[in-house]
Amino acid sequence: MLIGISLVSFFIMHLAPGDVTSSEASFNPKASEESRQKLRELYNLDKPVIIQYGLWVKRIAQLDFGNSFASHQKPVLWERTDKSGNVTKGLIQESLPITLMINLLGICIIFSISIFLGTLSAVRQNTWVDRSITLFVFIGFAIPGFWLALLLMYWTGVSNQWLPISGLHSLGYQNLSGFGQFIDLLKHLVLPVSISSLSGLAGISLYVRNGMLDILHQDFITTARSKGLKESKVVFIHALKNAILPLITIIGLSIPGLIGGSVIAESIFAIPGMGKLFYDSVLMRDFPVIMGILTIGSFLTLIGNLLADVGYAWADPRVRKGLVK
Amino acid sequence: MNIFLKNPLALSGLIIILTILILALIAPIIAPYDPSFIDINSILFPPSINHLMGTDGLGRDVFSRMLYGAQISLLVGFVAVGIASLIGVILGSLAGFYRGWVDSLIMRFVDIMLSIPTFFLILAIIAFLTPSIWNIMIVIGLTSWMGVTRLVRAEFFSLRQREYVLAAETMGSNHFSIIVKHLLPNSLTPIIVSSVLGIASAVLVESGLSFLGLGVQAPTASWGNILTDGKEYIQFAWWLSLFPGLAILITVLGYNLLGEGLRDVLDPKNKD
Repeated sequence: MLIGISLVSFFIMHLAPGDVTSSEASFNPKASEESRQKLRELYNLDKPVIIQYGLWVKRIAQLDFGNSFASHQKPVLWERTDKSGNVTKGLIQESLPITLMINLLGICIIFSISIFLGTLSAVRQNTWVDRSITLFVFIGFAIPGFWLALLLMYWTGVSNQWLPISGLHSLGYQNLSGFGQFIDLLKHLVLPVSISSLSGLAGISLYVRNGMLDILHQDFITTARSKGLKESKVVFIHALKNAILPLITIIGLSIPGLIGGSVIAESIFAIPGMGKLFYDSVLMRDFPVIMGILTIGSFLTLIGNLLADVGYAWADPRVRKGLVK
Repeated sequence: MNIFLKNPLALSGLIIILTILILALIAPIIAPYDPSFIDINSILFPPSINHLMGTDGLGRDVFSRMLYGAQISLLVGFVAVGIASLIGVILGSLAGFYRGWVDSLIMRFVDIMLSIPTFFLILAIIAFLTPSIWNIMIVIGLTSWMGVTRLVRAEFFSLRQREYVLAAETMGSNHFSIIVKHLLPNSLTPIIVSSVLGIASAVLVESGLSFLGLGVQAPTASWGNILTDGKEYIQFAWWLSLFPGLAILITVLGYNLLGEGLRDVLDPKNKD
């Protein structure tokens, strides 16, 4: 594992230059002269490339992503205290927890529903249950999330008014009791979380189904059956354990997609998360924020992959034993 | 053609895609109106005989705009995936054929690209360029080649030591001709399947970008930016939101069905 960790940290170092175009900004005719000047100072564009790179890495290593151009010079990453003791919160600091919350909820939902659907589909292979689940999977893959979001907004929010359709809190949020606040937040989260988990749900259901089918045809399952075990025990204890193991890796790999997908969900539902912040920054060409989010996003992906590797090694006795050797 | 007839998935996908392709090609002939003709006397008409899919907030005929939108969708899909496949095949061939440090270098690059959230990367590049249909295609192409690279490399790894490849090498064929004549034709199946599936996701990404206003720009019609209008008028004009979304759904479904079907048909492992 140590080797894995060192490899990953090595990656992060190498990720920096692969990260978009700090130089391109200065060629962009749309950047105003003022912001170009700021960029030049910020990135030391007058210095040779290698020194620039070194400086950039040094600043990133100190977690200093500079200040936003657009949002009143707010710091990009983390809060800053000025001389008179006023604290200015960082943009990513404010928005990241919201995005993380939505995505973690999404992952939980994806996990529970898709394991259920995938297993059901595999056990009832080639029946109407399997076919309708497969149809759902194909449609889930193909449906544009933003379109579904629009339809759901219209249906649940505009014509029936069941659910709030924008933001995270209702108007009188402060006056609600703790439990009321929680319910209010949940209501606001229903639509965005379902939209952002839909395509993952489809993909992972399919994955569980295929994994289950593979495993149900293996020798140890036949052994278990011939021992006279109940079918439910064979499926849920013997087979399912093996089928969901690779999901740990898949969840790790799907993190960049989830984070990227939050742009659309958050901007439609006006949720002040990292995706919306990114979208707004792109519209305003707020380069420090763009670069900051890109780096943090990649960093999260790497952490996700690392956690997935560790989780896999922890969950799979074969890998665990292999490591001991 | 036989292989399609045996597989209902592939066949239905193929029919969907061909229908859309034909509609897009004959759009100038069958479109009843000029897609960007603004008629202030027919703003937000619901669907009728005159306007099959109604009109939008500027009185433009949605059906005509949808037809031209199909052109954009197909164009973006094909060009973006063409770019991605080209890069993927070249890098994958180099990595799979030469191995060693070439392979490590290319694969590290792939890993780095994969760990940057793609949609963020696309948006960030668009922020530095002006959004236009050509930029969109190039950017989508440049950010989606990693899968093909990995596939080609894996295929090459398994083909590299086959007798016919070794024979060609012993007989003094140069590397380029071994790659092009022997290795690539034998790894075509996964490349085709992943390209078809890639078109599906390129269509989705393009419509998403256009929906956010960072893709194909008005007055050019694209399914994504018709939906943006739909969002504005969602309380009074359902037809503006319904049709483009359905079109995207059906197109993407078509490519996915075709891709999955082709995988089943062409992969001997799945024959039973």
